[in-house]
Amino acid sequence: MTVIKLKSYLLKPTHLAPLAVFRMAFGILMLASVIRFMVKGWVHTMYIQPKVFFPFYGFEWIKPLDATGMYLVFALLAIAALLIALGLFYRISATLFFLLFTYVELIDKTNYLNHYYFISIISFLLIFLPAHRYFSLDVRLNKNLKATTAPNYFVLVIKFQVFIVYFFAGLAKINSDWLLHALPLRIWLPAHSEMPVIGSFVTKTWVAYAFSWFGCVYDLVIPFFLFNPRFIKITYLFVIVFHLATSLFFNIGMFPYIMISLTTIFFSQNFHMQIIQRLRSILKMPETEQASFYVPSFFALKSLRVLFTVHFVIQVIVPFRYLLYPGNLYWTEQGYRFSWRVMLMEKAGTAFFYVHDKTSGGQIEVDNKTYLSYMQEKMMATQPDMMIDYAKFLKAEFTKQGLKDPVITAQSFVTLNGSGSREFIDPTVDLSRQSNSFLQNKTWVKNF
Amino acid sequence: MTRRNIVGILGLFFTLLFFSDCKKKKTEKEETDESFDKSAMLVNYADKIILPNFQSFQSVVDSLVVAFNGFAQQKNTASLNALRKKYISAYLKFQRVAAFEYGPSESENVRTNFNTFPVNINQVNSNINSGNYDLGTVDNIAAKGFPAIDYLLFGENLTDSSIVAQFSTDPSAARRITYLDACITEMQSKINIVVAAWSNGYKTTFVNSTGSQIGSSLGLMINQLNFEIDLLKNSKIGIPLGKKSLGLKLPEKCEAFYANKISVALAKECLLNIENIYLGRSTPDTDGLGIDDYLQHLGAMHGSVSLNEAIKNQFTAALTKLNLVDEPLSSSINSQAAAVDAAYLELVKLLVLLKTDAPSALGVIITYQDGDGD
Repeated sequence: MTVIKLKSYLLKPTHLAPLAVFRMAFGILMLASVIRFMVKGWVHTMYIQPKVFFPFYGFEWIKPLDATGMYLVFALLAIAALLIALGLFYRISATLFFLLFTYVELIDKTNYLNHYYFISIISFLLIFLPAHRYFSLDVRLNKNLKATTAPNYFVLVIKFQVFIVYFFAGLAKINSDWLLHALPLRIWLPAHSEMPVIGSFVTKTWVAYAFSWFGCVYDLVIPFFLFNPRFIKITYLFVIVFHLATSLFFNIGMFPYIMISLTTIFFSQNFHMQIIQRLRSILKMPETEQASFYVPSFFALKSLRVLFTVHFVIQVIVPFRYLLYPGNLYWTEQGYRFSWRVMLMEKAGTAFFYVHDKTSGGQIEVDNKTYLSYMQEKMMATQPDMMIDYAKFLKAEFTKQGLKDPVITAQSFVTLNGSGSREFIDPTVDLSRQSNSFLQNKTWVKNF
Repeated sequence: MTRRNIVGILGLFFTLLFFSDCKKKKTEKEETDESFDKSAMLVNYADKIILPNFQSFQSVVDSLVVAFNGFAQQKNTASLNALRKKYISAYLKFQRVAAFEYGPSESENVRTNFNTFPVNINQVNSNINSGNYDLGTVDNIAAKGFPAIDYLLFGENLTDSSIVAQFSTDPSAARRITYLDACITEMQSKINIVVAAWSNGYKTTFVNSTGSQIGSSLGLMINQLNFEIDLLKNSKIGIPLGKKSLGLKLPEKCEAFYANKISVALAKECLLNIENIYLGRSTPDTDGLGIDDYLQHLGAMHGSVSLNEAIKNQFTAALTKLNLVDEPLSSSINSQAAAVDAAYLELVKLLVLLKTDAPSALGVIITYQDGDGD
């Protein structure tokens, strides 16, 4: 009974207007983001200037290109984003965008942001969605592509993904630091005491608590409300207020605007058809709507079912992988990434690396600035897997300089959510011999 | 499954999730809800510390110029020693402005232009011999400023009279005196620009930038404080001590190596300046609003003591250990290796507190990159 119900829910025809609007919004936002990224000079500071990169485990073969190559990648990203917005050569441009964007993100985990992970996932999903079959240049070039409706799941996958982002972000906030101590907001908010009007509020402890609890409840509840057409307007108002507030207080770039724009997919199809009608009248491209239902081929249907199922199973499991490791998740960060854990900790550290020469018995204290960018050093000092990567780099570097099989140790002091700095790792361990394998618990990270 | 069941299961799940994490009780901090007067703090920094320090550095540079003119007119050991004295007091005073490398100082690149050491003596000598140089180029960064003056006024194992001879009777004497003049004049003109810019406008900019955002005055100050403690720990002490060279001592890397009697004093001045900035202290007994008061106001902790207490104690510890190191540092790194090492270790601890704990508690943002939001 429920299976049949579910099946009909997933397969029932739904209008493609929401997906078309989503496609345009995503393309335009990505175009803006890529241009912003280049204008800020980040291509240079993040991918050209650094001497060392921190690739993800299993992706060590991913390397940055030279300056021309990297700028070419970003130029192609901008073009692909524009083509996605226009719906021109859609499958190719979506695939290109996904591959290039993910490539860039895999180069250096220093720059890992949940937002970027979200963009990678959305662009991956978009490859398989018929977002170009309605109100696109592809349709104008090839009338056969055109469809007005498609099975509901094509729109649902996006909605599910948004649901997961919010809900898991909310789950991650259910912890004592966030709810009982209002940390780290209690540290971050008072820093804005100079702001007009709200400045005098942000220093109040109750405000930090209110923000923490509201944020947690918001993340847990909003995805359910988004699915309810009756409350969509008021829900969306909350979405706007919430994200604008975060953009006011925190340094989070385009993400608030991305979420505000992309959650419009939860609006009714009439809402989206009106948008497209308006665009048509602006662009003077009147078109009579001829209903046609896009049905994927039997083979496509089967493979998409497997693909989306596997994708969402992974999405649900991955955030819980931290349970496999002992210790405080925020401290060890084992299983921290790819879990929609955002804004949860104020963590900072200083790490001193030592290269020991067996022959002379002497040691060299490494000047991290010689090899790492400010951001890389900052991130490395609090993330054990990056410390291993750096130690391995140092070993290779100093071997090249003539030391024989040097031992690399580090002394690191980290403060977490106002704890005050304390020793982070065992200072006697040769980090260059440690592994970043997921199967290995990093026992050399001290207990919090 | 009814809706009520689902709600029940979710409720249970959230509760479990919550309690799975509740292990330790934290000691609650003492905080006040009032906002801290950042503006008054910045006014204190600008009016009582930064600008006065720049002005007093400016005046010692002026008397350095006077002493140079005296030496240029009458080249003898007496005028040489008078000049050396002014050089030493200027170098010591410089330590009191080196950490203000933002705004005008940043545009004039004061720290790099005035004090890139060790000096590149080959570059200095080739400049003097050719008589053809532009001190503004990158090649000459380690061939000017205090380190070059240090080399020119003291030389390598030379008697006072042979130094005087280098400037008076040597074939390159005229070019040498011109070079010394160029080094001193460059400093004078740069510090004049900086003081003028601070008095005419930048002070207002500095005081009004009360945020904790990127490029805010507090962010700049903290960032430079970190840079300065890093320099103190590494360049002034660690490198000569052999921390970067497998324990091999490198006396020639000491600051003011040729004067060979003020390296420890310079390090102490540097440390005192860092402490003054931290405390918002202008003279030993005038302690105004500073980072210490802000941290205290925020109730930042370090273990069981307040972070401010921990930092103040660490300043004392570092200064105590540094006081046990004798001049010249170039010999102490060998003869008193343990004492220098002890001072170094205290500086490391101080660096951790200033670089990790303080910015984290203050919520200042130093990087321009986007962070992870919600």
